[in-house]
Amino acid sequence: MNNSHESKPYLTFSLGDEKFAISINFVQEVVEIGQYTKVPRSPDYMLGIINLRGKVLPLLDTKLKLGLPKTVISKKSRIMVLDLQGYEDRNLQIGALVDLAKEVIEIKENEIQEAPDFQNSQASAPVTGILNNQGDITLIMDVEKVFSVQDIMQIKQSVA
Amino acid sequence: MDNNQKRFVEDALDLLNELDEGLMQLEANPIATAPLEQVFRTLHTLKGGANMFGFEHIGELAHQIETLYDLVRQGTLQVSDGLISLTLQAFDTVRDILQEKDITKMRGQEALQYHLQAALDFLQNTLPSSTYALEESSEGRLQKDILATILVRVVPAIKITEEGNHPLVFIVQDIAALGASKQHISKNESGEIDHWAIIIATTVRPAELETYFIFVEGECTFELHHLGVGNLLEDEKLHQAAEDYFHQVIDLEQLKTEAGKFAEHLPFSDKLLDGETEAETVPNRKIVNDTIIKVSKRKIDDLLNWISELIILQSRLSDINSRINSTDFNEVTEQLLLVTNHLRDTSLEIGLVPIETLVTKFKRLVRDLSKSMGKKVNFLSEGADTEMDKDVIEIMGEPIMHIIRNAIDHGIETPEERKAAGKSEHGTVKIKAFNSSAYINIIISDDGRGIHKENIVRKAIAQGLVSSEAALNDEDIYQLIFHAGLSTASQVSEISGRGVGMDVVKQKIHELRGNISIKSQPEIGTAFHIKLPLSRSIIEGLLVNVAETRYVIPLNMVDRIDRIPYQALERQNYVNKTVVVNEEPLSVLSIREEFHHDHQPPKTSDIISVTLEGIKKGIAVDRIEGKIQAVLKPLSEVYQQQDFIVGSTILGDGSLALVLDPQRIFNLSKS
Repeated sequence: MNNSHESKPYLTFSLGDEKFAISINFVQEVVEIGQYTKVPRSPDYMLGIINLRGKVLPLLDTKLKLGLPKTVISKKSRIMVLDLQGYEDRNLQIGALVDLAKEVIEIKENEIQEAPDFQNSQASAPVTGILNNQGDITLIMDVEKVFSVQDIMQIKQSVA
Repeated sequence: MDNNQKRFVEDALDLLNELDEGLMQLEANPIATAPLEQVFRTLHTLKGGANMFGFEHIGELAHQIETLYDLVRQGTLQVSDGLISLTLQAFDTVRDILQEKDITKMRGQEALQYHLQAALDFLQNTLPSSTYALEESSEGRLQKDILATILVRVVPAIKITEEGNHPLVFIVQDIAALGASKQHISKNESGEIDHWAIIIATTVRPAELETYFIFVEGECTFELHHLGVGNLLEDEKLHQAAEDYFHQVIDLEQLKTEAGKFAEHLPFSDKLLDGETEAETVPNRKIVNDTIIKVSKRKIDDLLNWISELIILQSRLSDINSRINSTDFNEVTEQLLLVTNHLRDTSLEIGLVPIETLVTKFKRLVRDLSKSMGKKVNFLSEGADTEMDKDVIEIMGEPIMHIIRNAIDHGIETPEERKAAGKSEHGTVKIKAFNSSAYINIIISDDGRGIHKENIVRKAIAQGLVSSEAALNDEDIYQLIFHAGLSTASQVSEISGRGVGMDVVKQKIHELRGNISIKSQPEIGTAFHIKLPLSRSIIEGLLVNVAETRYVIPLNMVDRIDRIPYQALERQNYVNKTVVVNEEPLSVLSIREEFHHDHQPPKTSDIISVTLEGIKKGIAVDRIEGKIQAVLKPLSEVYQQQDFIVGSTILGDGSLALVLDPQRIFNLSKS
């Protein structure tokens, strides 16, 4: 069986000038950003909580989480509501703030190239691969790495 | 496990509580017939259900023990300690088995074997010379009762057919087999059963007949009509009347008249019957009067969720209303507010159950403990009909149990000690429950030796919990009791005194946003006062603003509020860090300082005075916006570390406010 020609849908979005794609399996919906309430004593990238039609969700600044400068909220800012796998297989829903949410595109498995080595990245690359359209690069985001449950649940790691 | 079995397990657990209750009463009053009848009936129902739903081993045990109580009813056997203990122990095991998750474990024979043997031995030892055969026991009982003809009408509330394997079909068959009977099934075109009518001449009492329906409550309604004494079906005329009734040629009244005519010819009189059967119609109270119905917890939770949503929408509507100038709109909004509030109050009551079930458990505990420790203890309860959230009852069971355990272990003296102290030999442990405003109060008191403060302080100092110079008031000292690791029992017993427990008690109460306080007087006794909020999902609170973030502080902790100039809060350059509020020095925690120190301070600050563990403290906020009904929404689990926030609530404008836990905030600033 050859899956390499099978295409899968991805949602593309931007952080600054960079283009990203995320498998739509993770994406519940995309909403505009409204008010959010900061929860004291939480990491900076955890912007606070939002009210999504009566449901309370945490909102994360995707750029801050990646070690980039804080997102400046504009009219184009969007929240991607993501379904992650929390602890003990519980469903964990979060909102991820991005600069721009674009469109859903189909990407074939064989179009995705292996992620190059990011020399200057302190951790392992937060992408699973890249899509190179004649020099127009789209990074396929490693959702489970960027929004690792370990991180966002603020599990205290032993500080050496 | 299928649904019927699940329901059986649930009902059986209730029955076991009833059994405990009956046994406890019987023990207190061994010659009373009411509790004896209750025990007997409960055993019988349990037996029936167990056999019907595939728990034959439980059925057999119930049967053997029922046999013993039948002997008591016949006056052959006396109620004794041994009998009661044997029964309690046997059904404790049954309870354990029923709480197993795994059906094969539930069906395990071995666990009950011991008790079954014990029951058999008990019977052997009581009646060594008798050739009493077990099976005869039920026959013997039947002979005692009076033969009567009864009309049983069963109307299923759900769609069932005769071929469908619904338990109700078998129940009706079982009933018809209880004596000479004539039955008619009325069906609609599609073969679904509309109702059954059974005329039966039996010696089984109506009360017992009712128990046949206990496992199908809610799935049918049934009526029992007493037609007359004796077997009226022996008469041809009545046969005809019955047929006419079945085919709706005559109605129930006419049937009764027919039956009455015939009954007159019989040598018996209705007066022979006991009160229970004397009543002409014995409809099942539970169903016909609609006083109690069983509803799944999930449905209630669903309902409460929707009502919470409604309250949130309502507050948004009120918010919009305040901005729109329309008399019509205003009127509708206000009326809707009224309706919403009523709905909220009613809905909160739906999930409540009386704490009675707990009280029965406590009675058991007191009985077992006092016996094993050689103490004499009376257990009193007051306000057992006070209602609480079912989940809360489940959470509070253990903590209260622990307090009672402590009361008997540490509080109540031995009979000799009590005599020497001029007290009655019997100690008293009392549980009192009552409602006050938005709280449920539970007071557990004993008339034992009281708490000796010096012992606690000595122990606490020895363990380094407090310094020996610390000036402690009574409250401080009592609060030490809740400290993990502090146990004042000089000898650690099996029951209590391991020092684990009271801290857990406090923590559990704290989780429910309640509090616990202690009052004690040496040689007079001790009282634990637990205060719990009525609702877990809706709380009253003060909406406050700090640096444009809104917080809610639960109103139940708030003593008073004062406005002071902001500068008065700034005590960094002073030795005295307290703030004078209302002419009293108060230790104040500023939310702004704690969470938002980088914002421009306001000119004034509102100080909310709260009492935490008996100590007055102040919480400084920028501005109090008002009182609100907060529907508590849990924070996402990603905020587990921020445990000083109980949850969030959606405000009228759709934004979120954070509900604070004052106690934990103070702990936060300490560490």
